[in-house]
Amino acid sequence: MMKNEAPLSVRGLCKSYPGFRLEDVSFDLDRGAITGFIGRNGAGKTTTLNSILSFVRPDGGQVLFSGLDMERHADEIKEKIGFVSAGMSYYVLKKLKAITKTCASFYPQWDAETYQRYMRRFGLDENKTPAALSNGMKIKYALALALSHGAELLILDEPTSGLDPVSREELIEIFLSLRDAGKTILFSTHITADLEKCADRVIFLRQGHVVADKPYRDFAASYRLISCEGALPPALEEKALGVCRTRDGCTVLVKQEDAGDRGRLPDLDEIMIHLDKEDAQ
Amino acid sequence: MIRLLKKEFSLCLHPAALIMLGLSALVLVPNYPPSISFFYLTLGIFFICTSGRENHDIAFTMTLPVSRRQAVLGRILFACCLEMAQVALAGAFVAVKANLIGVTENLAGLDANLALVGEGFLLFGLFNRLFFPLWYRDVRKVGKPFLIASAAVFLYVVLAVVSTYAVPFVRDRLDTADPAFLGEKAAFLGGSALVYLALTAWAARVSVRRFSALDLQL
Repeated sequence: MMKNEAPLSVRGLCKSYPGFRLEDVSFDLDRGAITGFIGRNGAGKTTTLNSILSFVRPDGGQVLFSGLDMERHADEIKEKIGFVSAGMSYYVLKKLKAITKTCASFYPQWDAETYQRYMRRFGLDENKTPAALSNGMKIKYALALALSHGAELLILDEPTSGLDPVSREELIEIFLSLRDAGKTILFSTHITADLEKCADRVIFLRQGHVVADKPYRDFAASYRLISCEGALPPALEEKALGVCRTRDGCTVLVKQEDAGDRGRLPDLDEIMIHLDKEDAQ
Repeated sequence: MIRLLKKEFSLCLHPAALIMLGLSALVLVPNYPPSISFFYLTLGIFFICTSGRENHDIAFTMTLPVSRRQAVLGRILFACCLEMAQVALAGAFVAVKANLIGVTENLAGLDANLALVGEGFLLFGLFNRLFFPLWYRDVRKVGKPFLIASAAVFLYVVLAVVSTYAVPFVRDRLDTADPAFLGEKAAFLGGSALVYLALTAWAARVSVRRFSALDLQL
């Protein structure tokens, strides 16, 4: 794999289902960075990840991993990526050591020492079954497997979904330490608070389209949230990207250049909620 | 492929399939339709596929450095290993019956003899050809492919039993105690094995094509 190429480059990805269309999704990941992939449920995040991993066959577009395409270099690519999904639990009644033994046999560069180190660090017991693990521990086990075969790119689908705040915080810290170790992470989630703690870059997907792909700070700074008492002022009506009602009036999301001196920096949740509110209207 | 086969045995083998293998011993039961003992293993393969679905087996396999083609061939080869074991066990029980118990006339199908082993090959070939291509059209749905394949297998069993009365060659030569007409029985066994190979290879080819085009909703 070529080190100077983006670890993951997606160009013009399209996929249609009845009632849903993923359209012209394009982005590049920065090496050694955490990229948040956000959007409400049904925005197309999982379809994008499934297309990237060739679980579903895209209607069009190109996906390159460090310059290599999955169709011709599947083995080479899969040896360098790790996929972790919160909803996935493999062979729930098999012992972890049986799953690990099988998994290890497929990777020539499997590092047993690294595996044992992560198992100890994550407090995982090889004699347990996935059924006996909490959701957070299952994620950690999947990470231990991915990291032990030398994955350089981690694709995480809603890894913190359904976890308690302490477990989420713990995972975020693990992701940050992996980033510090040079791993590239694509982190799909609708829990945007997690990204505020760790994301270097944000890709925002709305109704199957990428509507923003920016460094995290630039993304948040490109909007302003204005609180209004009573009804929405006519002057803001045209500039409003999304309006949400509050007890005393409403909040309006506008572009930073349209806000003047008004408003404050919104957080990711507020941006997502206001933009999706606009879609619903 | 060896690694995939090891994975199948280590993570996917359902205990029911092993129990079904043991049911080869039904060959020893007088007047029991012997083809049914082969059918039980197809039930075991069905259990392997349903438990695989519940355990996200295909998702796990697809994250490993293997192609879709290899994943399909691994599963079909795994089924073939079980089927070969069943056929071998049936052959062993036929030998046990012939040498230790004594062959009695079976009124519900072939007597316990060499041709019976060939009947197992035909049944498994038919099952593989129908079940796997239907299942790989949508791996989330195991029930319907099994129902269709089982219906065909049941029809085959009925025809096999009827043929021991209605088809002179089967009645007079294949449905006899060994070692009578051993040449004909060996030819039937060899022909059945070739049909099994052809049907299974056909099943694998169609399955690979269908699975390669499938959108996996994992």
